[in-house]
Amino acid sequence: MKDTRHEQRDTTMNDVKISASGVQVYYGDNHAIKDVDVEIKDKTVTAFIGPSGCGKSTFLRCLNRMNDTIDVARIEGDIRIDGEDIYDPNVDPVQLRAKVGMVFQKPNPFPKSIYDNVAYGPKIHGLARNKAELDEIVEKSLRRAAIWNEVKDRLQAAGTGLSGGQQQRLCIARAVATNPEVLLMDEPCSALDPIATSQVEELIDELRTNYSVVIVTHSMQQAARVSQKTAFFHLGNLVEYGDTDQIFTNPRDKRTESYITGRIG
Amino acid sequence: MPVFWIIIALLGLAAVGFLLGRRNALSSVEGNPTLLHSRPNYYGAGVALSALIPALFVLAVWLFVQPLLIDTRVSGAIPADAIPEGSTLGLVMNDVQRLASGLEQLQEMGRITGREITDLTTDGDIRARLGEIGFALGSDVRPEVLDAARQFRTLESTGRLFMTIVALVAAVAGFAINLSRVHRDKRARNQVEGVIKALLLASACIAILTTVGIVLSMLFESINFFRQYPITDFFFGTQWAPNFRGNSDLGIIPLLWGTMYISLIALLVAVPIGLFSAIYLSEYASRRFRAIAKPLIEVLAGIPTIVYGLFALLVVGPMLRDYFAQPMGLGNSGSSVMTAGLVMGIMLIPFVSSLSDDIISAVPQTMRDGSLGLGATKAETIRQVVIPAALPGIVGAILLAASRAIGETMIVVLGAGAAARLSLNPFEAMTTVTVKIVSQLTGDTNFASPETLVAFALGLTLFVITLGLNVIALVVVRRYREQYE
Ligand SMILES: Nc1ncnc2c1ncn2[C@@H]1O[C@H](COP(=O)(O)OP(=O)(O)OP(=O)(O)O)[C@@H](O)[C@H]1O
Ligand SMILES: [Mg+2]
Repeated sequence: MKDTRHEQRDTTMNDVKISASGVQVYYGDNHAIKDVDVEIKDKTVTAFIGPSGCGKSTFLRCLNRMNDTIDVARIEGDIRIDGEDIYDPNVDPVQLRAKVGMVFQKPNPFPKSIYDNVAYGPKIHGLARNKAELDEIVEKSLRRAAIWNEVKDRLQAAGTGLSGGQQQRLCIARAVATNPEVLLMDEPCSALDPIATSQVEELIDELRTNYSVVIVTHSMQQAARVSQKTAFFHLGNLVEYGDTDQIFTNPRDKRTESYITGRIG
Repeated sequence: MPVFWIIIALLGLAAVGFLLGRRNALSSVEGNPTLLHSRPNYYGAGVALSALIPALFVLAVWLFVQPLLIDTRVSGAIPADAIPEGSTLGLVMNDVQRLASGLEQLQEMGRITGREITDLTTDGDIRARLGEIGFALGSDVRPEVLDAARQFRTLESTGRLFMTIVALVAAVAGFAINLSRVHRDKRARNQVEGVIKALLLASACIAILTTVGIVLSMLFESINFFRQYPITDFFFGTQWAPNFRGNSDLGIIPLLWGTMYISLIALLVAVPIGLFSAIYLSEYASRRFRAIAKPLIEVLAGIPTIVYGLFALLVVGPMLRDYFAQPMGLGNSGSSVMTAGLVMGIMLIPFVSSLSDDIISAVPQTMRDGSLGLGATKAETIRQVVIPAALPGIVGAILLAASRAIGETMIVVLGAGAAARLSLNPFEAMTTVTVKIVSQLTGDTNFASPETLVAFALGLTLFVITLGLNVIALVVVRRYREQYE
């Protein structure tokens, strides 16, 4: 029975990568995400915007089951990636997370060298057959995250010794190195200067050709620049979801309009 | 005035100073504290401290110096022929001090007046009167001693009087000077903070100086020992056979071997079990299980080591002998290195596990999230991210356990015995450095013979070894540290 339904979904919406319906998240008694339905398309950049504390990070973390590590968090509803229920008991969260990579809101480099930070994922997943290949992956990832030039001479220095913005890009490089199909980025440019920001935005655009990217951002301009789809969250509700152009030029909901014009948030 | 009352008076003065300083500071700005350089309490504290500190300093120095001065004065006044045959000036001075304090007590109890003391002669039976109040003198009082004791008492009471006056004057002066300087622009906070910093520094110095003192005293006694016993025989001798009639073999090798062997077995038990249980508790266990299990493990640390020793002697030792040593033909000794090592290992588990658990739990969750978010398994995350980040603390915990193992005595005496032996067989009785330190210093001892002094050399060696362990650990940690913010 289950299988036929899967096939149906797959044929009718084959460009949908992630589909969530009726998602509720509770932190103890705090109802942080209220009945969210959303369909995230493949090979698309989707932006999540909304005021601080509205649940953007929480929802993002549901998509690769990172909320499993929070004791008090409880998730209800149905989230499917490629038609497969990711909260099914048969699903291995480890495999899921290899497929759905994540850049966290707070840069969290490992207390290892810059090289080892980036090589960590590829080593675990056996993506490189030898040292030369690993070196290549590391270099390519660092280049894509626009930090190669700054660190190429000190790859053995500690990742935690970098500046905040450098750490942020190191974490992006680390996430890119494992070749995820979906990349979830939680405010990846919050500590970056305009030049690094535009380089990361270029990376996001480039990733779009093969993957789908979800980005949380507080910058309306950034959302407008990089995304094709935008979702506006407010107090745990998904208020409006649609094409980025439409959201920014012609929002349907009053709250969306107030937020993007700077009146709530 | 007794010192106790002087201190009470000083504290009272300080309290008054605090209130006045605070009040004057406030009145200098018409009650508006925002115009002051520092918060009003700092002005008060400044006055209080300048009343207290100079006075306390005077007291401390005076109490230390006065007895020395009086001693020289009084003993200088005792004529050389007043010292009986076979006695020394020091012994006579002891009598003088004892008599002086006896008289003091008599007077305090109202059984004698100051006048009577001045008129006292050796004919009056001073000894009996002191005996009545339970103050026993060794012999009858001789006139020179009585005179000296009287002089002693006068000097002491004048000294005390001057001390009281000087301390109080210092306090009042400090109080007045500081109070007169209370002003809105005075940097009272900086002053008070300076004093606090000095106090903290002094505490640190006390700790360091104590260590230095202990080491130096051991060092001097050890040098004494090496004058009487060749240093190479001590460090390279493989025989430990003290003999109080002289001619002992005092080689440290068998003792060091025993210490290392037992500690090694103990750590082989404690480190894996402790570390694994720490990892389980901090990474896998449910909150409820952890809340119950952690205190239970820590109970192990609260058991006195003598109880562990009894356990080793009565349970573990015989069991190892009956089920392992004898069937395997490795001897039939009830006390053995294995017994002491196993039991000591159990004792050390909580040291390793409890500390490591705290340290592993302190590794930020974001670190684990980062690894899990890249698709690492929980085991990979623990092995490659969490443990390396917690390594310095874990090494510290293991080191603490190692020092405990090296210094442990009770379990060794009861578990492994007190026979110094150099053997590879873990089922033989051996002993450690600490046990021998105890046995060399107990019983009838003469603190000049090498058999006793060797204890200090043993202690010093042990100290150097633990110090070396600490240094090695420090280097290891520096090298492999992965520091998170
Ligand atoms: N680990 C947690 N435990 C308990 N409550 C949490 C936790 N994380 C988030 N919350 C709560 O969930 C709600 C949504 O938080 P979330 O982090 O998703 O907001 P956000 O939209 O990402 O905000 P920001 O833009 O500031 O990052 C908040 O009310 C927050 O207090
Ligand atoms: Mg967030």
